[in-house]
Amino acid sequence: MDLVIGIGNPLRRDDGIGPRVAGALEGSAFASVCAVQELVPELALRLREARRVLFIDAEVNGPNVRLGLVEDSPSGLGHGFAPRDLVGLSREAFGEVPEAWTLCVPGVDFGYGEGLSDRAASFLPRAIDAAARWLLERT
Amino acid sequence: MEREIHIEPVTRVEGHGKITLHLDAKGNVSDARFHVTELRGFEEFCVGRTVWEMPVLTARICGICPVSHILASAKAGDAILAVRVPETGLLLRRLMNLGQLVQSHALSFFYLSAPDLLLGWSSDPAKRNVLGLAEKRGDLVRRGIRLRAFGQETIERLGGKRIHPAWAVPGGVNRPLDRADRDWIASRIPEALDTVRATLDLFKKTFATAEECALLGDFPSLYMGLVASDGRWEHVEGVLRVVDANGKVLVDGLDPARYRDVVAEASETWSYLKFPFYRALGYPQGMYRVGPLGRLNVCDRFGTPESDAELEEYRGRGSGRTGRVFDYHYARLIEILASLEQMQNVLQDERLLSPRVRAEAGINALEGVGVHEAPRGTLIHHYKVDENGVITWANLIVSTGHNNLAMNRSILEIARRTIKNGVFDEGILNQVEGGIRAFDPCLSCSVHAIGRLPLEVQVVGPEGEVRQRLVRD
Repeated sequence: MDLVIGIGNPLRRDDGIGPRVAGALEGSAFASVCAVQELVPELALRLREARRVLFIDAEVNGPNVRLGLVEDSPSGLGHGFAPRDLVGLSREAFGEVPEAWTLCVPGVDFGYGEGLSDRAASFLPRAIDAAARWLLERT
Repeated sequence: MEREIHIEPVTRVEGHGKITLHLDAKGNVSDARFHVTELRGFEEFCVGRTVWEMPVLTARICGICPVSHILASAKAGDAILAVRVPETGLLLRRLMNLGQLVQSHALSFFYLSAPDLLLGWSSDPAKRNVLGLAEKRGDLVRRGIRLRAFGQETIERLGGKRIHPAWAVPGGVNRPLDRADRDWIASRIPEALDTVRATLDLFKKTFATAEECALLGDFPSLYMGLVASDGRWEHVEGVLRVVDANGKVLVDGLDPARYRDVVAEASETWSYLKFPFYRALGYPQGMYRVGPLGRLNVCDRFGTPESDAELEEYRGRGSGRTGRVFDYHYARLIEILASLEQMQNVLQDERLLSPRVRAEAGINALEGVGVHEAPRGTLIHHYKVDENGVITWANLIVSTGHNNLAMNRSILEIARRTIKNGVFDEGILNQVEGGIRAFDPCLSCSVHAIGRLPLEVQVVGPEGEVRQRLVRD
């Protein structure tokens, strides 16, 4: 089973695009889907059960929807966790790491409020399509 | 001439703050200040909302302690409705708060503080975090992750979700617990107990000397917290007790609604965080502490066998009621043990599965106070309402605020001990931060800040020039 994690806060405008894209995949027979405001170490327990994991997150002023492998080095974390930190923690604590990918979706407005900016909304169909392809093409 | 060292922000705490160390002409520390630099003013946001909305609204103050705000707010609502919460509702609130204590203390110890304690204050800053700890102590981190996940899952099974559950309401809770969820929680407790027993053993073996335990400051203060009517450790109901540094009871059996009889609040121009103090001694002499150390120092016993044995050993090691800041970590582990034991007791109570969980009523009082023990200490919600239950005034005193004077004292002691003739390095500054971190402050709650900035440390000379600057991302 694959794992899809949408990251972001839907009350901070475009930051909510990760959960929005992940929500579109809910019910998939191929993946377990969840949405979180931020990554936390307990998610390592879910990573160890997954064959692959896809992190979906907003990217500040990103140029386009981007799918890529998670870097295999921690960021030197402090207050927050990046996907590569969670993958590294999973490896060190549990010895098992799924194949890890990120799907970055451009965002421009991270202020208070619900709903996406026009620019982020324009990337939403493409992002959902990329996530669905990720699920289907690699199963 | 004086110069200043700034540490901004303080890392691995919830929210962010700044530390300024004032050096005298010889380069020794003359003063230390913990600044909380953001203001969001939640009390003002509450005005105009109804008392029924308050648990959900105030839960949003914090992503770590939403449960604590929900429960304190619901208790204030109970007082305004003037209802008696059904026994099952009280048991469920109790169970959720025990889960909250477990998850929050596990977060504080395993994720935030253990890297300093087990890797060393001066170890490589890039590795001095939970990920670096996992490289060295994978088993400990694995257990810590599972322990916190257990606490979080308990909250989710009770409240429907682990963060901001809209569950406790004025009059009780809004849904009963089903048997399957009760059995799931009960089935996980043995593993959680094993984890905290092993961690307590490790902690006591690793930090055996008085010098190590005095590392983060050792000073007398008062302590405040809820206790049961017979003096047992308490976190949901009970009465307020204040003891002095020697354990002498100064105030006992105080109705929490009368908190203002003992607590007054001061403010300083250099911080948005208020400075509560014990009214009878005045400001700043009336410094008191709350939280794990405060609760252990005010209670007579836990009333559960393993934690009572640990409390006895703890008091033996500290020669009574300890004033060592470092012992916040120790007390936190003991409270995890006590919480798990008490969860077992609650789960065995058949009343827990009753569907009668909420009393309903209209507005029967125009003022209500809810006092509750959050993981970081005593949490006070105080509301005044109009005849329709609309909030006209609110006062929130959160755990981190109670500890404000003591946090400042702690960093002053550490800085004076470690910084001599203006010489310091990152490891020493991390110890100063560690003095704050031991209190596990939640700045999100206390002034409601979010976010993270790079850490900047500055030494400023007599003419205001920056002589030394350290930055960490």
